[in-house]
Parts: sequence; C-alpha cells; structure tokens
Amino acid sequence: MEFNSVHDILDFAISKEQEAHDLYVHLAEIVSRPELKKTFGEFAQMELGHRTRLEKIKAGELPGLPDTVVQDLKLSDFLVDVSPHANMDYQDAILFAMKAEKRAYDLYIALGQATSDAGVRQVFDGLAQEELKHKQFFEAEYDDVILEGN
Amino acid sequence: MSVKHTLAPFSAWLQAFSKPFTLPDKHGYREGADRYRGWHINDTKKCIGCGSCAEICQNVAIDMVPVDDPVKGDSGLRPRVDYGRCCWCALCVDVCPSGSLGMSNEYIWVEADADKFRYIPGVDPKPWDNAEKGWRQEEGFDLVDHERVPMPMLDPAERTKTWAEVVIGYSEEEARQEASRCVECGLCVAACPAHMHIPDYIAAIRDGDDIAALNIIYDNNPMPEMCGKVCTRRCEGVCSIGVQGDPLAIRWLKRYVTEQFDDLKDVVHAEVERVGEGKKVAIVGGGPSGVTVAYYLAIRGFDVTIYEALPQLGGATFFGIPKYRFPMPSLEKQVKLLTDSGVKIVTNHRVEKDEMRQLVKDNDAVFIGTGLMKPYGLRAPGEDLPGVMYALDMLRDHHIGKKVDITGKVVVVGGGNVAIDASRVSLRLGAEVTIAYRRRKVDMPADDEEIEDAEAEGVEIIPQAIPLRVEQTGDGRLDFIWGPAEMVQEEEGRRPRPKLIEGVENHMIVDRVIVAIGQGAEHSWMPEEIAEKIADKRGWITVDENGMTAYEGIFAGGDLVNSTADAISAIADGLRAVVGIQKYAGVLPQAEDEGSEPVAIAK
Repeated sequence: MEFNSVHDILDFAISKEQEAHDLYVHLAEIVSRPELKKTFGEFAQMELGHRTRLEKIKAGELPGLPDTVVQDLKLSDFLVDVSPHANMDYQDAILFAMKAEKRAYDLYIALGQATSDAGVRQVFDGLAQEELKHKQFFEAEYDDVILEGN
Repeated sequence: MSVKHTLAPFSAWLQAFSKPFTLPDKHGYREGADRYRGWHINDTKKCIGCGSCAEICQNVAIDMVPVDDPVKGDSGLRPRVDYGRCCWCALCVDVCPSGSLGMSNEYIWVEADADKFRYIPGVDPKPWDNAEKGWRQEEGFDLVDHERVPMPMLDPAERTKTWAEVVIGYSEEEARQEASRCVECGLCVAACPAHMHIPDYIAAIRDGDDIAALNIIYDNNPMPEMCGKVCTRRCEGVCSIGVQGDPLAIRWLKRYVTEQFDDLKDVVHAEVERVGEGKKVAIVGGGPSGVTVAYYLAIRGFDVTIYEALPQLGGATFFGIPKYRFPMPSLEKQVKLLTDSGVKIVTNHRVEKDEMRQLVKDNDAVFIGTGLMKPYGLRAPGEDLPGVMYALDMLRDHHIGKKVDITGKVVVVGGGNVAIDASRVSLRLGAEVTIAYRRRKVDMPADDEEIEDAEAEGVEIIPQAIPLRVEQTGDGRLDFIWGPAEMVQEEEGRRPRPKLIEGVENHMIVDRVIVAIGQGAEHSWMPEEIAEKIADKRGWITVDENGMTAYEGIFAGGDLVNSTADAISAIADGLRAVVGIQKYAGVLPQAEDEGSEPVAIAK
C-alpha cells in the first residue's frame, strides 16, 4: 500500500469506514433477531458518522486527528473471534464490532510503523487513536451490559 | 399636714446619691448551662428527613418540609420548629435516629415578627448554628433500640451437609421485639420498588396481629414469603434506625408473618371490586411480575391464564434461587393462593410464535414477563470443552430434578447472585469452590450477606481475575487460566473497569468451570412483528407509564424491562401493569386511577 499524501491516507480511511458501514448493513439484513437488525443498523449509522468526520477533516472543516492517547481496556484481546451468522445475539454483535475496530486499529498502527515519514506516521497514529476510541465504545458496552455480573 | 409629710419630697431626693439596688444593664448576657435546651440546631448533612422528631413531638411543634438539594436517598424533608408550640422538652433530640438534631444553649432571641419564630434548623441560618454547648443525645440513653434481634442461623459447618434453610426464622417473641424497634418513619416505603406498606405491617406484628400484617403485606405483594426470604431489601438500606445502629430486619419480619399460615386462602381477604368480569388476560412467563399481574387481576374478576415453560411458576425464584434460601413448600403455598383465586396455570408450556399471535387476538391484554433466560458466554478459548457449563442451566437443571454433573474442584466465573448461588449449590453437591471475579470484591453485584455466607461456608473468592482461556489437561481435567487486573477509572462517578495486567498468567486446575457472567433476553418465541416493535437493540423491552409496550395491548415487566433484575422490582412492574391493563380494558375504578401509587388492593 502506498500513500503519497495525507489526503490519500484519509481517502483510504474513509473507504474503510464505508466498508464497515456496508458490512453492518449486510449483517442487519441477514440476522434473524429483529432487535439485532436495530443493533447493526445503529452500528452502520455510527460508521457513517465516522466517515463524515474524516471527510470533514479532509476538507479542513474540522481540526486534524486527535493526538490524545485513548485508554485501551484490551477486552477484545483475549476474547474469541466471532464469524457473522444469522443467529447472532447481542453479545456476538458487540464482540464482532469490538474485534472489527481492533483490526482497524492494528492496521493503522502497522501502516504507521511501515513508513519512515514522520508526518505520515502521525496521521496513521491519529487514525489508530480514532479506531481505539470506537473500540473503547464497544468495550465499555460489553463491560457494562454483557459482563454486568463479572 | 405633719412635718414628716412636708419634708418627704426633699428626703426622697437624698436617695439619688445612694448606691442603686438594681443592675446597670438588666439585659446583660448570661450564658446558658452546658446542657441547656435552647434553640434547635440540625446537621442537615446527617439528617435523613425521617420525621421521627415530628412524630414524637407532643405539641405538634414540628412539621417536615421539603428543602432544596436533599441528600440522595433520604426523604428530602427537614424538620421545621414552631416556637409558639415548642416546650423545649427535647424529646425530638432524644429520639432522632440519625443523631443530627440538637439544641443549642442559646435562649435569647428578640424579633418583632412572630412568624420568624418558626424556622428550619440547619437550613435557615441562625447565630447559634455552630453552638457546641446545649442538649444532645446522651450516650447510652436511647429512645431507639439500635440492636437488631439476631436471626438464628444454621452453623456454617452444618449448612453444606444439607439442603435445609440456612436461616431458621424468628420466634414469635423475637419478631414482636424486633418489630417494636420501628419508629414508623416510612422512608422504607419510598425505597421499596413496590411501595409496600412496611410501617403498617410492622406495627401489626408488634401489636400481635399477624393476620392484619399478612393482609397489609398482600396489599401489593403476592409473593411475600419469597420476599421475606430472598428480597434485596432496599427498604433496610434506608431504614432510619440503621443510621446509628442495625436497620430494622424488615425482610425477616415479613418472613415471620408469612410463615405463620399454612394455607393463605382463609387468611388473605381481598376487598376489591370485581371490575374485570368478562375480560381475558394471558400472561407469558410465570415469574414474579407475571404472578403479580395474574393475582391482582384475578381477584378483580379477570379471566387470567399464565403460560410457563418450566414445570413450576416462580421464574428465577424457582429455577435460580437455591432451596436452602427459598424452599419449594414456600413457593407452592404462594402458587396455591393464585389457583385459589381463580388463576389458570399452564406449566411445561413454551408459547411459540403462532400461539402468541393467537393469544393477542383472543385476549383483552397480554403480559410478557419471560425474564432474561439466555446466559452470556465466556467467549474465551476453551469454552466449548466438556466440563465448562453455565450457572443458569446448572441451577435450572438442579431445581427441576435433573442430575447435575458437579464434582471435584469448581471455579465459578462471576460475582452476581447467580454466581453465589451456583457456588453454594456446588458446595452442597460436594465440590470445592473458588469464585473468579474480574472486579474488586466491593464491586460484586451479589448481596453482601450472600457473599459473607458463601465465604463462611468455604467458598474462596479471587477478585480482579480475568479469565483468559480454558485448556484440557493430560488427565482430563481443566486448566483455568486467568490474568490479574488493575482497575482503571474512566469516568468520575462510574465503577472502575478492570484492565488486564499483561504478561502474567495464573493457572487453576479444576474439574468444572461454571460461567455466571450475566444473561440476556431470548425472543426466538416471539413473532417478528411484535419483537420488532417492542424490543430495543439489547433485547430489553421498553414500556410506558402504564407498563404497556409499543405494541398496543401487550404489557411487559420484570428483568426484561427493568435493569435492577430483582424480584421486588419485577413485582413493582406487575403492579404497574395491573393498573395499566385495567385502564386499557376501560374498567379501572376512579379511586385507583387517582391513587398516588399502583397499589393493587384498596383498603
């Protein structure tokens, strides 16, 4: 993967958010539980929100990516992967979303480490923190709702 | 005229040069005695607004008035003293359960406006607010008895050898003595989700009228023996006596009354109008919320049928709570009153989609109280290994008489009541039990007493232990691998979250891993067109102020609806639906419509 400018990187990130949105729309269609259709519908909207935010950053309408470090609970690190299926329940849905955000985070970290350009690395690090923030949202939901008794 | 009389005016003038007999300043200040009973003071931070001071005042000089910014959990009221009535007897200070009320040694206050002599101590600023001297409660002299009558219990060493109830119960004498500690402040009524008439039934117990007490209890609780044994007792958490001593044993007193009668039919008398004649209601799920709806509608003349998937009503109180806490005869007695009241019960019957559609068509209203029946998984590698099981399944199988395969050393993952119940049942099945909990012990959602009892019986608790994976050992046992957690505070005011300390792995060789991390909703039985309307993304059901879902005519309650997941909240949901269903059916009596609480029986 080669990126010649910050705009290239942001375009890549925007396409990733769009892919995530499309995946959640697809999942909302295939799951059998009506309430889970709402869940995935909501996740899809969140991804659209992320895409819009990146588009605004790219257009200069919003300040750049944050350089603050987000707390990582690392919940998804030791939980198993979930493959999408029709009978998914809410726990599966949150776990799936957590893992997806973690994969995105890992990708940006890896891309940042692969470049020698400090400016480019900074953009990837910022994107990684954005994904970490999304992952943290799902991990907090998992911690509060699924692991309420633990 | 005599000479004496002639000179008198001049001799009187001579006194002008004598030493005066009066004080130069007759209003000079003189400090009150150290324990003088002067103007009231009140530490409003300590005050809980219980109103015991107003209750005891013989001159009706104190009334309780609302104040701004009350402390969370108290009544929001504070005493206001009227000095046109007060006789400074200090009974109010002596009875104050929180010890917040006192009297300063100040006694002088000059004011032209008589209305000013009525103020709220501690709220309306006064010069003596910080007076150190004056009347206070004397140590060792209490109008309130701070010590609870101890509950006789089985010895911890004996408990695990039997399924007998751990709590033995109060004798009549003990119950009357404990009931006499109540100051009837009523804070408990507000704290109880069902707003039970607690001071009234406690007073009846104190006065030796157990029948009256039971009938008051049945005003708004159709499963009082269950609550008398396993209630989460939020009432006791706010008990005014508990501020300086042991809270009143409200739960145990309810238990005492309910245990006095073997057959409730001849004792409980519901004096209500049978407004529901000709109306039909179906209830899906026979837990505490469903039972509440069924009982209070049936005594009002509704034709009520409960459909329950398990062999017995009671929901989680049947299949989840172990019999050493809530024995079967206690549950059966309460269920019998339901059938005696005309409720039709269909057990071992799981309602499916088509039948639900039919129930909606055939009934004036349908109530859903199916609870949270799907255990959440560990979702750690090794969860599928033989020997890893779910606490909810294990407890249910045990209670319906199926053989439960518990042996050797067991680790229970979780810290809620289900985890504690699974642990204590495992102990009684002969296992050695350890609980692994991700957070701190103080964060455990289980009842404190249950945790103490479990530990006393031999359960070891490892806090801040994050399950990482389960592996099979060479000899067919299980290696439960966990990592230590540090607690991180993400947001002020929220419970801290556990975060894995990387690089450390602990091994525990066990025979069984029992997962008790939480449970969710299961709606596969529900028609899509209904689930779509009433369930939110988590599967929980939202209801309006009448307990009705977004699907007209379908009401809901219990763990599916409220997040507290305790039986008394489920009962409160049921009471709300009782009013809601009557309203929906157009038969709610005016008096109940205007009632301030969803009380089911008008006395």
